[in-house]
Amino acid sequence: MTQLVPHIFNGLTLGLLFALIALGFMLIVGVMEVINLAHGSLFALGAYFALTIIGVDPIADTGLGQWWLSLPLVSRYVVALFVAPVVTGLIGMLLELCLRRTYGRAPLYGLLLTFGAGIVIEETIRLTWGTGEQNLTIPDAINGATFFIGSIFSKYKFFAAGFSILAIIGVWLFLEKTPYGAIIKAGAHDSEMVRALGYDLSKLRLLVFGFGASLAGLAGIVMVPIWGLRPHVGIDVVIPAFLIIALGGVGSFGGAVIAAILVGLTVGITGAYASAWSMMSMYILLIIVLGFRSRGLFGRASALEN
Amino acid sequence: MSINKINRRTLLTTGAAAGGVTTFFGPWKYNRVLAAGHTKPIKIGLTSDASGQYANSGASDRRGMLMAIAEYNEKGGVLGRMIETTHIDTETTPATGSRVAERMISREEVGFMIGAVSSGVANAISQVAQKYGVIYLNTNSSSPTESGENCHRVKFVWDGNGSNFAQAAVKNAITAYGDKWMLLTNDYGWGHDTAAATRKLLDQYGGTVVDEILVPQGTRDFSSALLQIQQAGPDVVAAAVGGDDQKSMRQQVAQLGMGSSPAWINNQQDWPDVYGLPIENLFGVFGTTWYYKLDLPGVADFVAKYQAMYPDTSMRVPGNVFYNGYMATKNLLAAIERAGTTNNIAVIKELEGHVMSAEDRMQHHDAYIDPVTHQVQQTIYLATANSAPTETDDLFEIVSNTSPDEVQDMGAQASCNLESYDDTPTFDA
Repeated sequence: MTQLVPHIFNGLTLGLLFALIALGFMLIVGVMEVINLAHGSLFALGAYFALTIIGVDPIADTGLGQWWLSLPLVSRYVVALFVAPVVTGLIGMLLELCLRRTYGRAPLYGLLLTFGAGIVIEETIRLTWGTGEQNLTIPDAINGATFFIGSIFSKYKFFAAGFSILAIIGVWLFLEKTPYGAIIKAGAHDSEMVRALGYDLSKLRLLVFGFGASLAGLAGIVMVPIWGLRPHVGIDVVIPAFLIIALGGVGSFGGAVIAAILVGLTVGITGAYASAWSMMSMYILLIIVLGFRSRGLFGRASALEN
Repeated sequence: MSINKINRRTLLTTGAAAGGVTTFFGPWKYNRVLAAGHTKPIKIGLTSDASGQYANSGASDRRGMLMAIAEYNEKGGVLGRMIETTHIDTETTPATGSRVAERMISREEVGFMIGAVSSGVANAISQVAQKYGVIYLNTNSSSPTESGENCHRVKFVWDGNGSNFAQAAVKNAITAYGDKWMLLTNDYGWGHDTAAATRKLLDQYGGTVVDEILVPQGTRDFSSALLQIQQAGPDVVAAAVGGDDQKSMRQQVAQLGMGSSPAWINNQQDWPDVYGLPIENLFGVFGTTWYYKLDLPGVADFVAKYQAMYPDTSMRVPGNVFYNGYMATKNLLAAIERAGTTNNIAVIKELEGHVMSAEDRMQHHDAYIDPVTHQVQQTIYLATANSAPTETDDLFEIVSNTSPDEVQDMGAQASCNLESYDDTPTFDA
């Protein structure tokens, strides 16, 4: 007989990981109304940057490389957790500069550009890091298994879920408690008014896209020790992220987090009783919710629609 | 009113024109006059995946085919004709496989097609191939249905199948680990067929299946399945999970420390799926058809040739997928040479029942192409993680080799019903 409690707990952790995956995507869709199809490739890129930072292959034989490799893994891992997302964010900013020519045109232009950029990034990964499976080493302290509520769980998954909570709180504090967050939210609600008030919308968009890309990279670093690291690992990210945003309501931070947890619980519990339906269950959930609320759980009409 | 008079010249001219048109545009399905010129290259379509779940394996498969073709072209081709290839990505998707096969035959005008890792894709390609009579080599998909209910006169299957591997593993595993089994199955054709073969053998040798967990293709989180396994407490988990799904599964099982208890039997382990994984992820026993460290004549030279041809490939040594792609292509070209013609029916007859020596195959036992199912019957190896590797790539320890007769898939023989030669369109490629 299947014991439900471990599966509920598992679903909850899964939901937190889904939230981490969707955060960057949500920010870019919400503020810029751009569906960033390169999100998955940026996710992978972040993980590959971390791989290089931890292992420093290109300079491993130099004095600096030897010194770096002599540091404990935990130190290199922590540095990678901060530096790799920043570098990914810079790549995201570069992408935003290319994207500017599509603003004000049909959404298809933005979709095509980010889709193409995703392919370019993925192929660059293949050329730079190779096509094979790689392994992002994690510190021993968060590796291995632990016994909890009668079942064996991965310590790393607890770490990843905890890290997701921190990332969610961090992004929430940024959006809700800083003047920059207020401008971003205002930009999402009514960009014309923000421009009329004298804020530089171009700079805002550049920063938001960079921030969203760095969150995608961060999610990649956290997720690949569970999923494995390969150039096309990002393919598995875009659809769940998009689904969570649609379910939670475009532009709603809280909606995205709640939707992610709902998706995690649905997938986790379905996996326990009807495993063949576990992936399908998230789509069924989406259909049900959108059937009753076409804007998603917490979606609101933008000012432009009124 | 005038009556047009048909004279003899008009009649002959019209007749000749009609004959010509009929020859070139006539019943294509039954009589392709594709390569009247015998000096033009033989064109082979490579139908391997370049994206999706089996992208990595597809690339390895393709490298194997290209090495065999390069060897023949260095010798001046086959029957004095050079070999050309064209590749279109089948995307690990059956619908794409059908489209690619149609395009390759009707627009690219290929005479032969080679390549597959996914059984669904292989089945889709082979249906189109049979419609046109184009010989198709399924190099690397290992669903028993490929040489069973989905067999075709034009299709030849080169990999060991789920039933072969299960037969090599199940009986010994019941004795060694216990009779309480759980099945972890990828929810598509290959997974189901392999699980069915395992169930049948468990019934035969006294094992029981306590539960079967179906995991959809594309699953990246196996935590629900692994919780279920913990709760059921089986002696053995028989996993039929492939491609990227399997990599994720291995990663997560290793993280939970569940690799040694329960025991894991992984049906077949494709080399590209494990290359680069940490050794602790290589738990359990698994099947393969070839390993680059087999202590047999020719293996070292074959590895050296691979390394010379592909010096920049991240996979530094060839694996079973490369090997199957190479062997299939090499044997097709040899069959054309023996037949002395590119006529499809003549080549099919050359391949059917053909015996390949152990030495040529670099395996422990002679292999042959079963004329009833068109599957290559070959040595099946069981392997486990190598605890004492001689070099970085030496991941496997081969624990047994089983001769083809001991692991023959009798179920496929019973369910395969090949189309007759007369029902297969004929043409010269």
